[in-house]
This record gives sequence, C-alpha cells and structure tokens, in this order.
Amino acid sequence: MSETILAVDDDIDILELIQMSLDAEGFDVITANDGMSGLEKARAHSPDLILLDLMMPVMDGFEVIGKLKADEQTRAIPVIMLTARAQTHERVQGLHAGADDYVTKPFDLDELTARIEAVLGRTLPTKYINPLISTMGDWFTEEGVEQLASHLEAAAMIQQNLIPKKAPNLPGFDIAGFLRSSMTVSGDFYDFIPLDNNRLGIAIADVRGKGIPAALLMVMIRTTLRLICREETSPAAVLKRINDLLAIDTDPDLFATMVYAILDSAANTFTYSSAGHCYPLHLKNGGTEVDELKEGGMLLGIFEHAAFELETIPLAPGDEILLYTDGVTETERQVDETFYGEERLAALLQSNSDQPAETFCQTIETALFDFSGTDHRDDDVTIVVIKATNGKE
Amino acid sequence: MFETSISHNNVPVLRIDGKIIGGAANALKREMDKQIEQGKGGLVLDMAKVPLLDSSALGIIIATLQFLKKMNAKLVLLNPQHTVLDVLQVTRLNTILEVYSDEESATSAFGS
Repeated sequence: MSETILAVDDDIDILELIQMSLDAEGFDVITANDGMSGLEKARAHSPDLILLDLMMPVMDGFEVIGKLKADEQTRAIPVIMLTARAQTHERVQGLHAGADDYVTKPFDLDELTARIEAVLGRTLPTKYINPLISTMGDWFTEEGVEQLASHLEAAAMIQQNLIPKKAPNLPGFDIAGFLRSSMTVSGDFYDFIPLDNNRLGIAIADVRGKGIPAALLMVMIRTTLRLICREETSPAAVLKRINDLLAIDTDPDLFATMVYAILDSAANTFTYSSAGHCYPLHLKNGGTEVDELKEGGMLLGIFEHAAFELETIPLAPGDEILLYTDGVTETERQVDETFYGEERLAALLQSNSDQPAETFCQTIETALFDFSGTDHRDDDVTIVVIKATNGKE
Repeated sequence: MFETSISHNNVPVLRIDGKIIGGAANALKREMDKQIEQGKGGLVLDMAKVPLLDSSALGIIIATLQFLKKMNAKLVLLNPQHTVLDVLQVTRLNTILEVYSDEESATSAFGS
C-alpha cells in the first residue's frame, strides 16, 4: 500500500513539482496551498507524512505545526519542514515545535525522497504506539507504562498457570496439549479436568479478540467450566450453562468458540459438543479416514437460550482426535496469503499417526512455521491431541 | 472498500470489497453505523467481494444484528463467498443471519 503525503506550500509551482516527483516515486500526494486548508486536509485524510512550508501568509508553518500537535488525531503525523537556506533560526524553532526534519529550498528531489523515506521508517513504531496512547490517556506517563507493563506480566503469569502443565494420565490414552500465544496474554485456552477414575473432561476454547479483554473472558469461561463440569453429565449441558452466563453478562460482540468433551477410558468413547468451534478431526479406520466432528451449537455468549447437541464417538485402538483453534488453520502463507486450512491439517494427521501425542503437537507447530515462512504469529495457536492406544504404546 | 447504494424499495445496500480482517472490522462498524443512522428498517451487506472475514468482523456483524433486532430492524447478507459461508456454518451464525443470493430478494426481505 502506498503512503500518502500531504504537501502544504503557498507556491503553486513548488506544489506541482513535489506532486510530480513524489507521484513518480509511488507516493499518493495531496496538496494544499495555505495553512488552513493544509490543516483541514491533514484531519480529513490522515496522511502518513506532511511536507510543510514555514513561510506562508495568514497561517504560517509554525502555527500549523502547533495545531497539528495539539490535535490528538493529527499529533502523530510526522512533519518535514520546507525552509529557505538562510532560515537557521526558524528551522530550530520548527524542530522545537515538533517537526521531524527539514529540507532546504531549492531542494534536490532525491534528497527530499530520501528524507521522506527516513522519516517514514523512523516513525513507523509511533504509528502503532499512538492508538495505545490515546486509549491510555492520562496513563501515558513513564510510570503509567511501567505499571501497566508489570500488571500485564503478572496477568500473563496467572494465565500461564491456568494452562495444564502436563498431560493427564488416563489408561489406554496418550494425550497432549499445546498453546502458543501471539501476545503476552492470550484468548485461547485448553483444559484437562479429571472427573473420576475413568473419565476426563477436555476443553479447548478461543475467545474473540486478543489481549486483556480476551484474557479476562477466557478466565471467566475457564472458572465457570471448572465449577460446573462435575455437576453436569453431558458436554452439551456444560456449554449451555456457560453460554447462558456469558450471554447475560457480556456485550454481544464479546464471544467465544469452544469444544467440551468427556473422554471415557472404560467405554472407550469421546462424547463432545461444540459451540461454533472449528470442527475437531477424528482419525479412524486404522488411519485411513478423517472425519469432521460437527455436532454442537452456536458460538458462546450471543443468545441466552441457545441449544447444543452432542455426539458420542467410539474410539478404536489407533484412533486419534485432534482439537485445535483457528490460529492453526488460519496460519497464512506470506507469499500468496493462502491459509493452512483443514485439508493440510487432516493430511498431516494421517501421515504422522505413528507419533506420540506430544511429538505430534510439535510436528504441527513446525509445519505451521514452515508453511507461513515466518515466526510471527497473528493469532494464538492451540492444539490438543488424543490418541487411543488401548495398551499398545 | 465500501460503497453504498439505495435499493428501489429504499433499503441501503452496503457493498464491501476486500478481506475484513484486523482493523477493517472497525471501519466496517463505522460504515454500518453511518448507514443505520441514516437509513430505516435495516441494512443489506453485499459480501460478493469479501474473500475472508475474521472473528473481529463476526463480532461486529453480530453486535449490529442484535442492535437492529432490538430496533425491530434487519441485517441480511447478500452473496457471501463459500469461504465466508463455511465460517457462518461452523459458527452456526447461518441459523440467525438471513442470506440471499440476489439483491431483489435481499431487499424485498424487508417488506415495505
């Protein structure tokens, strides 16, 4: 995407020259020939950078900088001053007022482009930090940021402690979980809850959004789950109770997807219900077939009286269940913006059926890394693998 | 990314062009709010040119749907691509969102 440059100068010839040359460099150029309309265009178009002549009639460049920096909306836009060679004093004054750099007239076009590139590169972080600053308002002091950072770290610690540290021991099954968060705190979680000697509750969930709001909702869901999972015998009933609670207490655009299942090692069954979550995969018939498990109901937290269905799957030795969040299937390949997708995941499951559950979690993570071509993650990645070994390890 | 036209029976049709992921969801919210403020009875979202949407976009659409319901108004989708339909199916949002494949039926869903 090309960057937008606003050029403000009362000299029409200079504006035209700037427009022509920056156009040729691939920038989008907007022009204004006095300070007032420059300000208006800065507010209307939120350009990525402003080239500003200092000496203009009526409203001069200093006044424009002052007004730009006083307005939250335009404060972060970098400004390069256009000054005459003799105006050393004005240059300094401009830099003090908040300009980022200056170019002296008559200027060399290559120099102008180089300055623009440099300033755009330098201010990129500001572009991302600025929305944070406006959210934080008065908190944006050094102490405020420090305090917030330490709270965030503490929150991340609490959250990490909520994720099971090791896979539970259930006779006849090999189980593993994996979570890789894209930010300090996460909206994903998985949980293993022993219900009795034979039965294990297994949950995986993805809360909409990221960061602290998502993490708070995640904790709320996990707490509710832990409180009610022993009272209810059916996964569908568990989801229904969590849903009803969230639907009353949260905004309609706050929601989560979740699968809750009970793995029964005496009956060798997997009974699950899904609330709008990506379909779990079931590897069966000696590894020759992969089924999508689609039973369930609506996303959690939207409708107060949503209904959930459940299904019981018999597990034969060699069968596998793969639960995951959309961070897995929506991992994007950088070169062509293609998603990893369910088909690749199913193929990976089939071709690695000999791996222990924990190894297979790593295999998926490596495959996603290789596929995307980057270590950067836009979304949390969470995986739970359940293998029916039934004695054969 | 957005373009709005008014159908012959006075329903605003918001045409979206491009993926609705990340910050685009907020832009969509602003645009829908604007149309709702001006329009009456609801909104048609033309999704024909939307290859993809993420959970933020879903959140915005759900919130708007719920808001309009309270006002006795509607939000309907027009021509979503199969990738978007898949998302609606997995999340079961297809059970609460009306989906149409031509503009005539989408706008006449509003009655008069």
